Order: sequence, then C-alpha cells, then structure tokens
Amino acid sequence: MTKYPLIDGHNDLALRLRMHHNNKLSTFNMHHNPRVATDISRLTAGHVGGQVFAAYVLCTAQDKDAVRLTLEQIDVIRRMCTENPEMELVTTAEGMRTSTKIACLISIEGGHSIDSSLAALRMFYQLGVRSMALTHNCNTPWAESSSSYYTYYQQKNNSLTDFGKAVVNEMNRLGMLVDLSHSSWETTRAVLKHSTVPVIFSHSSAYAICNNIRNVPDEQLLLLKENGGLIMVNFYSSFVACSNNANVSVVADHFDHLKQVIGAESIGIGADFDGAQGFPKGLEDVSKYPALIEELISRNWTEEELAGVLRLNFLRVFRKVEKVRKFILVSSSQFNEVS
Amino acid sequence: VMDWVKTVCLVLWAFTFNSVADDLKEQALKLMADTPLIDGHNDLPWQMRSLFNNQLNTVDLYKLNSTHTNIPKIKEGHLSAQFWAAYVPCDTQYKDAVRQTLEQIDVIHRMCHKYPEVFKFAASSQDILDAFEQNKTASLIGVEGGHSIDSSLGTLRTMYQLGVRYLTITHSCNTPWADNWLVDTGSEPEAHGGLSDFGKQVIREMNRIGMLIDLSHVSEKVMNQVLDISEAPVIFSHSSAYSICNHKRNVPDDVLMRVKEKKGIVMVNFYNDYVTCQTTANISDVADHFDHIKKVAGSSIIGFGGDYDGVSRVPDGLEDVSKYPNLVAELLRRKWSDEEIRDALGRNLLRVFREVEEVRDLLNGTKPDDIPIPLKEVQNPCRTDFVLIMTLLNKLL
Repeated sequence: MTKYPLIDGHNDLALRLRMHHNNKLSTFNMHHNPRVATDISRLTAGHVGGQVFAAYVLCTAQDKDAVRLTLEQIDVIRRMCTENPEMELVTTAEGMRTSTKIACLISIEGGHSIDSSLAALRMFYQLGVRSMALTHNCNTPWAESSSSYYTYYQQKNNSLTDFGKAVVNEMNRLGMLVDLSHSSWETTRAVLKHSTVPVIFSHSSAYAICNNIRNVPDEQLLLLKENGGLIMVNFYSSFVACSNNANVSVVADHFDHLKQVIGAESIGIGADFDGAQGFPKGLEDVSKYPALIEELISRNWTEEELAGVLRLNFLRVFRKVEKVRKFILVSSSQFNEVS
Repeated sequence: VMDWVKTVCLVLWAFTFNSVADDLKEQALKLMADTPLIDGHNDLPWQMRSLFNNQLNTVDLYKLNSTHTNIPKIKEGHLSAQFWAAYVPCDTQYKDAVRQTLEQIDVIHRMCHKYPEVFKFAASSQDILDAFEQNKTASLIGVEGGHSIDSSLGTLRTMYQLGVRYLTITHSCNTPWADNWLVDTGSEPEAHGGLSDFGKQVIREMNRIGMLIDLSHVSEKVMNQVLDISEAPVIFSHSSAYSICNHKRNVPDDVLMRVKEKKGIVMVNFYNDYVTCQTTANISDVADHFDHIKKVAGSSIIGFGGDYDGVSRVPDGLEDVSKYPNLVAELLRRKWSDEEIRDALGRNLLRVFREVEEVRDLLNGTKPDDIPIPLKEVQNPCRTDFVLIMTLLNKLL
C-alpha cells in the first residue's frame, strides 16, 4: 500500500462535522479524534492517498435549503483540505495521481442538492465537485432512490425522466462522475443504458453475497462491465454481512465475488466510514484498510489486481470521464483560492 | 447689415460650438482609449432571465435590441469593464434565493463563454487590465442582495470561489442581519438598527476573503456602521448624490466624506428618479452629480454605475450603454481635467479593488469564520433545524 496508496470513494466525515460541530471546523481536532472513524493520523496509518469526501445534505432539506446546505458542506470540505498541511484539495485525476499528501476530492450525495437546476450542477462543478450520486434515500423529481423511506416524488415507471437524462448528459459534458449508489435498480439500469461514459458506484457491495437493496445484483454488474465503470465496495456491516456481525473475511468475499463476475479491474473501495454506525470487526476505521489488503493477498490476489483496486482503476475511470468533457472552464488562475 | 452680422455671428458661434463639441467628444474617446471605463452595475443578466429564461442559445447579443445593453452598443460606448449583477428578487428570500443566485452567476459565466471575442471573465484588478489590453470587456460578477447568501458565510465563501467579487449588502428588503434603504423612508420597519452582530461577521469575512462591500440599497445606519468596521475601502455600485436629489437610494454628503476618508468609491446611478427626483432627466443632470461629489469629497471617489437594464427610465442623451462618451464629453465641457476623468472612468475603482485585495492578502492565514447565525434570528419554514434533528436522533440512538 505504500506503493499504491488507497483512493477511497466515499467518506462522510463532513456529515459528522455538520451534525456534531455545526461545521465549526475550528473546534474539531482533525489529527486525533476518537469520536469519528476518520482523522489525519488514522488516514495516514491506513495508507490513504486519496479520499472522496461527500458533501451530503439530509433528504428532509429537499425543496427547502438543500442548495445552501450543500454549498456549506462543499465549503467545509474545502476548508478542511486546505487548512491542514497533510491534505490537499484536487480536482483532476492527474492531481489525485501525483499528490504526495492525502488528496481530497469533493462529491455530492444526492440529486436533491441541485434543486433540479443544471446551472446549480455546473456551479458545483466549478466549486470542485467531481462526482454526484443521483439520489440519496429520497427520490428527486427526475430519478428514483432505492429507499422508500421518504415519500418525495414517488412515481411509477419513470425512474429516469427526460430531465434526469439531461442531468446525466450535463454531468458527462462537464466531466463529473455519475454515482449510482443509492439509486433504485430501475434508475441504475436506465443510466447504464443511457450513459456512454463510465459510471461508478461509490459505496455499494455485491447483492449476491448480501441481498440488501443498496447492493448491486450480478445482472447490473454485467451492465457496469460493459459500461467500463467501477464498483467501490462498501464496508458497512449491514451491507456486507446482512447483519451486525461482520469481519474482514466477509468483506473479502465481496471482492472475490466481484472479481469472478466482472474482473478485478472493475473494483474499487468506498468504505462509507462515518456514514453509518456498525462496521466489521477489524475494519472499524480508516486505519484498518491494510487488514483487508492482507486478507486479499492471502486469497492470492496479484499485485496488479490489488494496485487496480487500491487506486489505478479509479484513476482510469476518472481520466476517461475527464476526456469526454467538452466544457472548457475558465482557467483556475483567474480565481484566487481562498479558504 | 446688423442682421447680416448677427447671422454671421450666429453661424460662426454654432460652428465653433459644434467643433468644440466635436473636440470634446474626440477628447473623451481618446481618454477612454487609454483608460478603461469600469461600470459598477448592469442588470443584463436579469433581463436574460426574465426575457429568455436564461436560455442564451435563443439570444443573439449582437442583434438584441430590446435592452439597454448589447454588444455593438458596448463597443460604441467603450465599456471596458462591467460588474454584471447576479440579482434575484427579494421575494425569493427564505425560499430558493440561493439556487436562483447560482443560476444568475452561471448565466454570466455562460455569456462570457458564448462571446469570448467580446467578454473576458475577470475576478481581479489585474484581470481588468489584462482584458483592457486585449480590447475586450472585462466581465465581473456582483451579487445584488444579502438575501442571496441565506445568512451563510459558507455560501459567501463559495460564491467568491465562483468568481463573485462584490456583494450588495441588501437589495430592497431587510435580511436577518442588515437593514435596507426602505427603512429610511419609513415604509418598512427597522429590524436591526443597521447591522446585527452576524451582519458584522459578514463584513469582516468579506474583508478577509477580498470581496468588495457594496452599500447601494442599504440604510444610512448600515452605511455608517460598515464604514466604522470595514478594514478595506467600500463601494456604492450604483448610487448618486442625495444633495442633488434627496432620494434615499442616494448618498448623503456626510457619508460621501467618510467614503473619501476610507478611499472608497461612489459609482453614479443614471436612473432618472435618482438623478433629478423626477421621471425625466438629461446628461447635464447626471453631470451635476459628478460635479457635486467632486466638490464635496474630491474626484478620487467617483465612478460610473449606470444601472442599465435594471431601470426603466434613463436620461436623454444616455439612452443606452453606447452613450457613455457623451457624459465624459460633458464633464470635459465642465472643465474636468484629463486626470480627473481618468480617475472617474476606472482608476478609482482599480485603486479600491487593489486595496481590497491587499487587505485580503494581509489577512491571509486568519481562519475562516465558522460561527453560524443564531437559529432564532433566521428561523423560517425552509430552514433545516439541526438542533431539532440532533435532538430527535439522540432520542433514537
């Protein structure tokens, strides 16, 4: 892992900052903090070279102040990554690849953040957002969630509306990763059929091993393979073991299964630390990633396969998405980076 | 014979007058060729929204003739730099103001992308000079109204990231932290006696990040309190002189003096109702404002803030953005020196902008303000209440 520092696809530390500290970063110890699963010392111990941080806002903010809350989450992640010398904010695959620090990438978790506005999507991109999950646990007016917990915008037979397709098209044009974690199966199928650009699941696991609706069934995995996309495995116990009792081995089972169905080159890691309560024994926080890699080594995963899972697969997909970008941003030298 | 002499004299006088007028216009154009005209406020983006729903693909800015502003007129007017207003109406406050503001910021960026031969996006004093050198119109963004940031410093910071370089503290409505000019007319109740504590946080954070503070539309108390606490010079992006026309959108003499002390700028608004306090006006009336401000506080605090496409009535002779040179010629006729004209055209604004940038650089290293507005000051049906959520969550877990 020293040779291939991990790039993890999904971390909810920003949510913890909001819930427990009202985004008061100045009161938060980023280096050693036992109340969360993520801090700089443990990221370093876990050989994390890149982390996608989710700028997530609650579904209950949909149609209310979701946009403003999203801007605040983007702001707190930016501040977190620019105020600590061990971290740095990146916005490109190359930036992530060459960083010698903990490279931060900003993602959005849920289309409700854009309030059905392509302009808002574009402005989020300009703020450095490079990935968006189309839904969280709530439907948007244009895409469907895998969860029926909320009753927003429930519609039958319309899991990706024309506007939803426009959103995906705009994301493709901008070079923003389309993230299908949390989307309903119908939405996922619709996107996989519609997108000509590789997509990702930033934090989902294999349905065949644990039949939780947040996981990806084999049939969709095959569509994903065709699409050239990436599934980044979630470590949350309920998703890997379908129970509160999980360990490194069952997580590794997901990797083995995915390798068997679509090959190691389509796999990444999106542990979802700080996004849930209840992680496997041996994988409680961001310092524990090496335990998983050791287990995979013992299951005869090759260096090449592991290098891919750790970072190269993500970089490859991200680079492809960037290549498709037809949008030329005003060069960043015209903007002063201010914390 | 006397008739003949009179006629000759008349003709000669008319001839002289015309050639003098031509000379003045020529001199004006010469000055505008070596110094950028920087206008503080233009609402074309609002016209894009209200006329075309921001669908720029359906507009041709070369041919558009239903607005004060289009590309040929910009060229004729020698408009070298423009702060485009990202404005959303006050009735979006406590609703979708933030999202709509993002849409206005986006339309300005797209306008620059669509006409790269005309507009060059700018976010610094140097950018303005660079654009001028390339014979393009530097395009900057000013957000018009504190309601656009929804009482959120994080939102303020991200808007700066998006290139926004001034925030007008209020439009024509109070925010949860600042009073607007209507309070001074008595038609609206005062809410904060100027700025609340959080309002002061906003001002300090704007100093820290290098965002220009725009006091057009604010109440007099806000004007004075901002002048008290701001570490950087401030602007009025589109306000005129209260002494000439006693409209509460204008700037009283004592504030003009304070702006001078602070080395700020007052960018004169051309709207008839603010120029003459009537529905009609002409170039001379506008020039009176320039003369008055110069007399009271000196030419170092004057600028142009036409408010084109934001108002319905503009003076005879200043019907659209092609007419700026006529105003400059009038100032020359009133014996403004070349240096004074250059100051008013753009050098004053550049000075202010540079100093705001310097204050930002000085404050570099200080921590961003992460203290939120107290919930009770801003509570409304659209605002997520985290205290409530945490209480509920703690009950569940």
